[in-house]
Amino acid sequence: MPSVSTQITFIVVGYAALVAVLALVVALRHGERPGWLDQLAWMLEALLVVRALAGLGALGGDGPPSTSTYVGYLLASVCVLPIAMQSIKDDRAVWSSAVIAVAAVAVGVVAVRLEMTAS
Amino acid sequence: MTTASHEPGPRSGPHKVLLAVYALFALAAGARALVQLATQYDEAPVAYWLSLAAAVTYALGWYAIRQASVGHTGFASVMLWVELAGVLTVGTLSLVESDWFPDASVWSDYGIGYGFVPAALPIAGLLWLRQQKRLPVGSQSRDD
Repeated sequence: MPSVSTQITFIVVGYAALVAVLALVVALRHGERPGWLDQLAWMLEALLVVRALAGLGALGGDGPPSTSTYVGYLLASVCVLPIAMQSIKDDRAVWSSAVIAVAAVAVGVVAVRLEMTAS
Repeated sequence: MTTASHEPGPRSGPHKVLLAVYALFALAAGARALVQLATQYDEAPVAYWLSLAAAVTYALGWYAIRQASVGHTGFASVMLWVELAGVLTVGTLSLVESDWFPDASVWSDYGIGYGFVPAALPIAGLLWLRQQKRLPVGSQSRDD
């Protein structure tokens, strides 16, 4: 059975894909960014924080093969979405949804890389 | 948040997405290059220095697009072509002179490790810039 952090990674990647698709759909429909998309993005961030906390456990014992790479992905996983949300704070136009789509794809990839570098 | 902030205004535009991707790649390429230069320098120094050059290019590209979004397109006109030339040159060299690249750089094989986004990014930037240059002065999308 996969470890707890691996299971959380599966959830994060699936949820990030969902957020990316929904954000893309909103952008393609040329609509203003709805409030629920922000809420979905922040829920994704909460999941990423949980994944990062679970990932701290991998630093104990033998640790990952490359600690610096692992810590880099760990930090990136929790920093990317807040920075993206900050960049579109005062912008609810169509392109702001596309920024959320890009950020969601990015954190999904980072979550996979985090898992790959954990052991 | 004010009601006005919900209006699609001149602050918005495709450049917001370009800025997000450029920031991501500056971070990703920079972190990758610094870790590789610090921990495994002897394995493929040329590739790692090229990755660092790519990171600097993305950081400058981010600034150039930000400037272009407020009407100052000069720097972006140079930087985006420099970036495209870099991707094409390093991508081609990595294929024809593979001995020079024992380990991959960000632009190796035209950015295959990043889903070819490094090759598509300057092209998307140049297309946006062409559109941006056609806009009348004062109507450019603003980012600040």
